[in-house]
Amino acid sequence: MTDKKESAPVLVIGAGVAGIEASLLLANSGRKVYLIEKTSYIGGNVIKFEEVFPNMDCATCMIAPKQQELLANENIELLTLSQVEAVSGAAGDFSVKIKQKARYIDLVNCIGCNACFDPCPVEVDNEFEEGLNKRKAVYIPCAGALPNVPAIDTENCVRFKGQECQACQEACAFEAIDFNQQDKELELKVGAIVVATGFNMFDIGKTSQYGYKKLGGVYSAMEIERICASNGPTQGEITLRSGEAPKSVAIINCVGREEKGYCSAVCCMAALKLCHFLKNKLPDLKITQFYSDLCIPGKAYQHFYQEVKDSGVDFIRAEVTGVSESGKELAVKYKTDQGKGNTLTADMVILNPALEPGADSAKLAGMLNIPQSREGFFSEKEPDLTPVATAQDGIFIAGCAQGPKDIAETIAEAEATAGRILSRSG
Amino acid sequence: MAKRLGVYVCECGTNIADKVDVDKVLAVVKTLKDVVVADRYKLLCSGDGQEYLKQSIIENGLTHVVVAACSPKQHETTFMNVCERAGLNPYLFQLVNIREQCAWVTPDGEAATDKAIRQIRAAISRVQYHTALEKKGMECNTDVLVIGGGIAGIKASQVLAAPDRKVYLVEKTASLGGKTRRFSKLFINMESGPALIAGEIERLQQNKNIEVLTESEAEQILGFLGNFEAKVVSKTEDKEAKEQNLNVGAVVLATGFDLFDAKGLPQYGYGTLDNVFTSLDFEEMNLADGPTQGKILLKNGQPPKSAAIIHCVGRAEKGYCSKVCCLYSFKFDRMLQSQLPGAKIAHFYSDLCIPGKANQKFYEDSRESGVEFVRSTVTEIAGGDKGLTVKYETESGDKGDLAVDMVILLPAMEPSSDARKFAQMLNIPQDDKGFLAEEHQLLSPVASAVEGVFVIGCARGPQSIAESIVQAEAAAGKILSALVPGRELELEVKTSQILESFCTGCKTCIEVCPYGAITFDEDRQISVVNEVLCHGCGNCAAACPSGAARLKHFTFPQIYQELEEVLR
Repeated sequence: MTDKKESAPVLVIGAGVAGIEASLLLANSGRKVYLIEKTSYIGGNVIKFEEVFPNMDCATCMIAPKQQELLANENIELLTLSQVEAVSGAAGDFSVKIKQKARYIDLVNCIGCNACFDPCPVEVDNEFEEGLNKRKAVYIPCAGALPNVPAIDTENCVRFKGQECQACQEACAFEAIDFNQQDKELELKVGAIVVATGFNMFDIGKTSQYGYKKLGGVYSAMEIERICASNGPTQGEITLRSGEAPKSVAIINCVGREEKGYCSAVCCMAALKLCHFLKNKLPDLKITQFYSDLCIPGKAYQHFYQEVKDSGVDFIRAEVTGVSESGKELAVKYKTDQGKGNTLTADMVILNPALEPGADSAKLAGMLNIPQSREGFFSEKEPDLTPVATAQDGIFIAGCAQGPKDIAETIAEAEATAGRILSRSG
Repeated sequence: MAKRLGVYVCECGTNIADKVDVDKVLAVVKTLKDVVVADRYKLLCSGDGQEYLKQSIIENGLTHVVVAACSPKQHETTFMNVCERAGLNPYLFQLVNIREQCAWVTPDGEAATDKAIRQIRAAISRVQYHTALEKKGMECNTDVLVIGGGIAGIKASQVLAAPDRKVYLVEKTASLGGKTRRFSKLFINMESGPALIAGEIERLQQNKNIEVLTESEAEQILGFLGNFEAKVVSKTEDKEAKEQNLNVGAVVLATGFDLFDAKGLPQYGYGTLDNVFTSLDFEEMNLADGPTQGKILLKNGQPPKSAAIIHCVGRAEKGYCSKVCCLYSFKFDRMLQSQLPGAKIAHFYSDLCIPGKANQKFYEDSRESGVEFVRSTVTEIAGGDKGLTVKYETESGDKGDLAVDMVILLPAMEPSSDARKFAQMLNIPQDDKGFLAEEHQLLSPVASAVEGVFVIGCARGPQSIAESIVQAEAAAGKILSALVPGRELELEVKTSQILESFCTGCKTCIEVCPYGAITFDEDRQISVVNEVLCHGCGNCAAACPSGAARLKHFTFPQIYQELEEVLR
């Protein structure tokens, strides 16, 4: 191996927990790291969770020190609003073309005071909050997002649609808003690449039997995560769309499992976490879980399940065949293993969907020339022996980009990519 | 030297100045003893602001600086760096957060101003008790000791070893490869375990930077990140014990697992009934160099016509799901089917745990090949003239039984007995199941609570081979990132210290230290802080009943002075 390869910068794609951890280890060893992230913020999906299983740690508090360390690390160049456009070269000597969208807010001058939000005349659904509330065209996704600097969404900003508006600029006391910023094309020379592009949730809209988006009381698990979040649309108050607190909840697991053809590994625990959280906030809430097989692998998870079960949550092993309106409530029709049909009524239904690869995986796999599995996740070189390496020398994968997994496994994989990249044993 | 204090209030544009009456703040501050500068600035963190601050510190010959601005998370480092550039020790500085803690949260302007004044007075009072602290570095050893020669230990050694980094791989048995070497096939690709291990051992042998010590055990490990000394005892060819001391910078524990002893559950008949096997017995039976030369045979030498696979043996007793048993049970289906076409196989299980992208198909293939899955609890395995009977009860309470020739039990995995030994030797905690505990279950899964000691593979919980390898590479990543040849380790500045004259030797501090940074000096009968390991958490300082443990930069005078002014 050449000296050049051993000291070449590394490109990390995706600034979720995996990308952050890999970047920190590489940078602390002395490597230059380019961390690119397609959104305007870092922290990925994890910062959407108020608490994480099994210890109910506050997720944002848990990763904030890592985020701060990342932002302060001089070896890490964070490029938000950026995506890979093209990749050429080989291990030790990749050329990567990056397109970085303009933020229109100066990262140095902006102090994150949020004074620009109020005067903005535009209101659109906030995708970070699963559309449960609105945001402005100049926005940060949620309170506490880092970097604490807004971005202008040019698709919705009236100025970028040709109207005369500079309301945000006028409100900024720091001359941080610059409409003249341009999208940039960058060419990075790197020796290795870490792909940490994470996951999406299975699109529940593809199912019809659960009444998602049709029945007011039906929610996706991610919507509930945001409703539980103290920095979310309801400031953590658990309410139905009517504004009332739910009295009974049915959680339906494995939504999309059959369509995807695999178990998503974390959903059972995520559902148990929601039970724990909801019971804490609303002790009289009646919760019923519909499930087929309980997947709670590893040393610490069964204890958590037992605790939730003992708190009074009902578990029904059954297939849910449909959710419909029943007066003011929802009727959950189900069929047990023995083929017995039954109905349960609840005023809130939570659908717990499968995890699937990030939306741009196929495009990225093509550019990087690395194979995807049947399920669309990036493939390991050899599933047993080289779990974070890919078929391309110098390109590594970590976290849910490789397959559904929990935070601990994701972090371990991120650290493993650093191990492989920093290794000089060939 | 006379004290010369500078106090700077940042307006943060309008963020602070709109709520806090900065003129009033400065008027009060200017009257305080030893304050030689009190000034305001529009945006002190800006380039111009930092330059102004630097010049002002130099021109006024300041000995201590207080900045009232935003959260220390945002700009403490910024202003400490300015102090350093101005030639002032950065620890003779105190930041007051009058933005998040006053301007942004206190609705009333007068109240916010009053609060800001109190906090700034407190900082002025505190900063005078600060002492200059210096950053320290330490030369470190970058070699690594890996304990356990299974797949995790082997892979960690391979990734770590380099011309400037020697790895000692210590294995207590005579051969490397651990449990993997005894698995004739591995899920889900049905590769050969012995072949995989043979390939890895060959790679180890080619690597001159790895020294393999078989029939060897670490008897004592002392030290800390960058500087451990391990006493390793090896059996020599003439069965003598040879002792050597190894100096390393990090230790990786890969001590693996054992199976739950199925004899503890007599209802399954293990050890009393013929033809009841554990999964490891069955693996042995399938090895070409095993007791049956790789043939699946009953005690009478005949091949079985039917087999029952019992899941979750000992799960209730252990209190956790062992994660990999369901997956290797489908591997057993294939092993049985390929040797014994037409053999009837039935699984008795409660919940299938097959997480991950590729595993469901592995299960479905088993199911579609005719293997039966009975969701039930097995209440008893009974023996008889014609073979074994599996008695079970389904979830709905139906009882049934099935006659089979062979029963394979899938016992839970538990930590190997070495886990306790090394937990005690290295002072790292075990969880309630006996596995070696992580520094943080989610965020730091392969580090232990003792810096420089890492825990990988089944020593920290049930894992698949792929997961064990991920963790091996992860530990390597952490070590390669922290211990770089030729680079000094940067040590925490705000460490704890224990004053000899105050220490009564009660050892309370040792109990509360989460980093194993405090040891007891038997000669002097006092506790001693190892500054290399201390993270400055302050537990010892809070717990010490005699006031001997003190945290630099958070001393009692500093804290009391601050509190007194806030409460004045």
